[in-house]
Amino acid sequence: MIVEDVLCPFCGCLCDDIRVEVEDDRITKVNRACRLGASKIRGHERIKAPMVREDGELVETSYEEAYRRAAQILYQAKRPLLYGWCSTVCEAHKKGILLAEEVGGVIDSTATVCHGPSIIGIEEKGLAGATLGQVKNRADLIVFWGSNPAEAHPRHSLRYSTNARGKFTEGGRSDKKVIVVDVRKTRSSKNADKFLQIRPGTDYEVISALRMIVGGNGDLLPERVAGISKDDLVDAAEMMKAARFGAFFFGLGLTHSRGSYKNIDNGLSLVNELNSHTKFMIMPMRGHYNVSGFGQVCAWETGYPMAVDFSRGFPYFNPGETAACDVLANGEADAALVVAADPASNFPRSVVEKLAEIPVVQIDPFENPTTLISDVVIPSAVAGVEVEGTAYRMDGLSLRMKKLVTSSYPSDEEVLDGIIEEVRRLGDDN
Amino acid sequence: MIIKGGIVYDPTNGIFGEEMDIFLDGGKVVEEAKGEEIDAQGLLVMPGGVDAHTHIAGTKVNTGRIMRPEDARSGLEPKTKILRPCTGYTVPNCYAIGYRYARMGYTTVFEAATPILEARHTHEELEEIPIVDKGALTLFGSNWEVLECVRDGDLDKLAAYVAWGLRASRGYGVKVVNPGGGEAWGFGGNVKGLDDPVPNFDTTPREIIRGLVKANEMLNLPHSVHLHTNNLGKPGNYTTALETLDIVKDIAPTRDRQVLHVTHMQFSSYGGTGWRDFKSEAPQIAEYFNRNDHVTMDMGQLIFGNATTMTADAPLEYSNARLLHAKWSNHDIELEESSGVVPLVYGRKMPINAIQWAIGLELALLTESPWKTLLTTDHPNGGPFVNYPEVITLLMSGAKREEEMATLHELVAKRTVLPTIEREMDWGDIAVMTRAAPAKVLGLAEKGHLGVGADADVTVYDLRPEKIDPARDHKRVKEALGRVKYTIKGGEVVVRDGEIVAVPRGRTYWVDASVPEKDAERVQADLVDKFDKYYSIQKSNYMVQDAYVTNPVVVKAGVI
Amino acid sequence: MREIAIVPLQEFEVPLEAENIRPDLFATLSLEEIRDLEVWEGNRKRVLSDLFSVADDDGTGECLIRLDGDFSRVKRIGEGMREGKILVRGNVGMRAGSGMHGGSMQIEGDAGDWLGREMRGGSINVKGNAGNYVGSRYWGERCGMRGGEIKIEGSAGAYLGDHICGGRIVVKGDAGDFPGASNRGGAITIGGDAHLPGAEMVSGAIVVKGRARVLPSYGFQETAEIEGKLLWKFVGDLVEKGKGELYVALVEDDGQLDK
Repeated sequence: MIVEDVLCPFCGCLCDDIRVEVEDDRITKVNRACRLGASKIRGHERIKAPMVREDGELVETSYEEAYRRAAQILYQAKRPLLYGWCSTVCEAHKKGILLAEEVGGVIDSTATVCHGPSIIGIEEKGLAGATLGQVKNRADLIVFWGSNPAEAHPRHSLRYSTNARGKFTEGGRSDKKVIVVDVRKTRSSKNADKFLQIRPGTDYEVISALRMIVGGNGDLLPERVAGISKDDLVDAAEMMKAARFGAFFFGLGLTHSRGSYKNIDNGLSLVNELNSHTKFMIMPMRGHYNVSGFGQVCAWETGYPMAVDFSRGFPYFNPGETAACDVLANGEADAALVVAADPASNFPRSVVEKLAEIPVVQIDPFENPTTLISDVVIPSAVAGVEVEGTAYRMDGLSLRMKKLVTSSYPSDEEVLDGIIEEVRRLGDDN
Repeated sequence: MIIKGGIVYDPTNGIFGEEMDIFLDGGKVVEEAKGEEIDAQGLLVMPGGVDAHTHIAGTKVNTGRIMRPEDARSGLEPKTKILRPCTGYTVPNCYAIGYRYARMGYTTVFEAATPILEARHTHEELEEIPIVDKGALTLFGSNWEVLECVRDGDLDKLAAYVAWGLRASRGYGVKVVNPGGGEAWGFGGNVKGLDDPVPNFDTTPREIIRGLVKANEMLNLPHSVHLHTNNLGKPGNYTTALETLDIVKDIAPTRDRQVLHVTHMQFSSYGGTGWRDFKSEAPQIAEYFNRNDHVTMDMGQLIFGNATTMTADAPLEYSNARLLHAKWSNHDIELEESSGVVPLVYGRKMPINAIQWAIGLELALLTESPWKTLLTTDHPNGGPFVNYPEVITLLMSGAKREEEMATLHELVAKRTVLPTIEREMDWGDIAVMTRAAPAKVLGLAEKGHLGVGADADVTVYDLRPEKIDPARDHKRVKEALGRVKYTIKGGEVVVRDGEIVAVPRGRTYWVDASVPEKDAERVQADLVDKFDKYYSIQKSNYMVQDAYVTNPVVVKAGVI
Repeated sequence: MREIAIVPLQEFEVPLEAENIRPDLFATLSLEEIRDLEVWEGNRKRVLSDLFSVADDDGTGECLIRLDGDFSRVKRIGEGMREGKILVRGNVGMRAGSGMHGGSMQIEGDAGDWLGREMRGGSINVKGNAGNYVGSRYWGERCGMRGGEIKIEGSAGAYLGDHICGGRIVVKGDAGDFPGASNRGGAITIGGDAHLPGAEMVSGAIVVKGRARVLPSYGFQETAEIEGKLLWKFVGDLVEKGKGELYVALVEDDGQLDK
């Protein structure tokens, strides 16, 4: 059987044109996906059964027992952290938020280690955005700042940006100009018409210099800013102003260099001001396929897109205090639930050490380094391959992921339901 | 269930303040029923409230939440045994929206603007809003397929596309915002009037409005076209509004309702040549409505304090943001629309805001028939919907208006006629503006009234209409309107003494309109081409799946 | 003077929220009522006496709260206080003195993040260091501190006085990245070094007596003498058409800036 128009559960591009061949309920071929996506759809070694840690060793157990143990850990905790959510569907996010309410926990997504600063920037300035198809049809100037789509979002260029063809961009790449700003040469910078190689940690200053030029104050600038000559900056700013439709994509090179959310804040202002000359949009290059979806669900359910603390019964939001990394780094969390993520690989070492000190419940289809520090491990079906559900693309567009094959594992949603039920039982007993 | 002894206002059925019992059974109003008795002796009873224009779900609402953590600091309500936690004032979370409407006695609310491409998101949020019934109006005013059909004068294809767009978005009606402007904004432009051509598409706002109104009537849709005018929010725009009302006068509606609903008219009733000589032209607009019966409007009343403006009129939002140096979000939707979100604060001492406030009231008070002017604040553009009790008391009490005007910038007395208006509305007028008329305007036969067969949605206020004078005791009235004695939704008590006591799931209305096969096929051929070349997703992934509308009411319409 | 002494009974496994520890509230209550005040240990509601010993010297007049011991995991102390005094003989946790309107807080150790967030009046003195976001605003708000004074004898973290709209912050040591960002009328003095002060400053003043990297969107005006020290004076942030004054003793010069 061939399944057409499958959504790819890998990166924030959320490509929806994948063709998958299925025989005997097994995936045999994946077409059109990039290498990263195809590998994700094909899958790899699974966690076989639920496990709990006994005398230091993970031993297999039943789902019922795993739910019970998970519920006890979360219910007894005074400040449980519910973290992850980037690689599962919105239906699981909703259950996660409900569970966080039930146990008075802190819930946060992997944005804490990726585009959390982008969201804070948006809270300062708003975001001049567009769907990716608008970029495809109209953009004649693409800026990649601190992002390397050639490696991290392989189909972005052809589907949406530099090489895409649309109504007003029939010539594809030949109709467009590309500016890349980065601290090093990358595969993406090779495709650029203009490459600004800036010194690490100077993004904010370079953006301020561009704002000066766009605002007509370029003459007040010094001859060089952060290693870039004023002529180069003027040239880049003029390219931006001359565009008919400009698109500014940024990645972790901007959010996680010195300056953090202030870099984004400044970038948003630059784009805002460019709109008094031409049309310009800006978008974070979200990494995992549905980290954007968690932000959406969390916002409509709690009012905030991440880092929500339910310990007082109503949502409190304060990144720097209530983001996952903060809660762990400050030694506040006394238990953690990790769903569809791998903090043991992605958090700073000192934070991982804190996580290893507290009881951890993991829900994931696949073993990863977080499994090694978990006390309860609950395997689940792979969302977007074995389970249907909603995901949000990097531009905020929601799409429905397909079920391609059946699974003997419960979905993340079902696992969370099992834990919620046990938590409520504990609540009724006390 | 029996609601006993209430003083009932049910304008649709000609009932204005009669003491009577209401019988409910099986989720409907019936002739006779047994069961639980609700003691409403002497209390004000109305059908459940209906809001025909509010922004409560979808991308732009959530954008408002995401860019405004400061808004979510207010309105905090912790979780309880039956309630989810609440946050926010101008952009409340989904739960707060359902609970707060129910506490005011509202049981039906319609999201006013959703693009087809992002309708899945709208429905995800609508599904999370508890208690109330809801629906969403679908945006068509800058859609490429619409522009091309209008340009080619192909009304049959246009109607077929509208039918498909409603089905694809699980939408209830045709919303048009600043027609053509959303497309122009794709390259940073706008359209400046009804005859200003839409770049690259060789058509005009006038043609788009007329085309869509005709298509709407060809499809015999329950609601008329729902229009946000061109030039909205700009001084001197009342001429655009009057011209717009006139250009659909010759088109006959196929149902017993208006042929065009112009929304939040307050924002389209401005005089002056700029902000310096900005003034109200509400009397001219009201005069037009008094002379003509083919159109309706809603107030879009302004409320002082925080608001979050959000609209598919993206160029307007950009100019708001530049003017106020405020946060600005923009969101263009490929082939379909654009939109913007800007938070702002309306100040009593700001001359423009004070005049805007007066304009909304002038429109309602100067338009003789309450059936033509629905009560809205264009939530959260003019202000949050929780302020409806404030608006109602302003309409019912001249004394209240005088008290308010005394706290405003003095230009309100010079640039508006509000101080000269003596009209004080009565409960019948209010029941029309908040129940009977919105249901009629939307074409919801089972809403907004208490006749046999109507939905069992009832509000019982803790007010004794025979003993209280709303003109004088407006404080007490406002309090009671915000915290009803009972809200009954689908025959179930959901609010008692101002507290939520049950949280049923509401239903979602959408319209399934049939069209001739040949027209549907022509539309599909166009769409295959558009998805192939222009959309960034596959056609098969576009339409809202049934999984997102789990409790639907499908209203049939169409040409066959 | 009425003095209430509070001592932790234990080390706290998870942080507490204790916004009820404020002198203007205590002043209206008996000792028993104070002991019964709500305090949150993570997601558990407790009363003050569950976690602290509370003693009252039965004095009269202005209320002083003396906190003896480690309060570094106790958040929101003195939040919104309007009068009276708090003396912390140790460290204090996050959000101390946030939204404070009056009175004073003396901290002998270090203060956590968001000290004096959205402060309106009164004074805070820290003998040790303070964390990030001192005198800042809450996310998305336009204004942080609007009045009062914060003095830090040691160093402060990043985002010092973010969106400050009034009042005064003095740091004897260094500040981190982006002090005085979006300043709209506050005064900040930093004894040591800072990085990119006054980003998007509209008005107000920032003095850096040590070394700082200055944004390219600042215009150099002249030299000025402040408290006996010759400083470079800049005006900005020009990207916001700002008229804020930035004074820096040593401009970080690595070939990118003229000064």
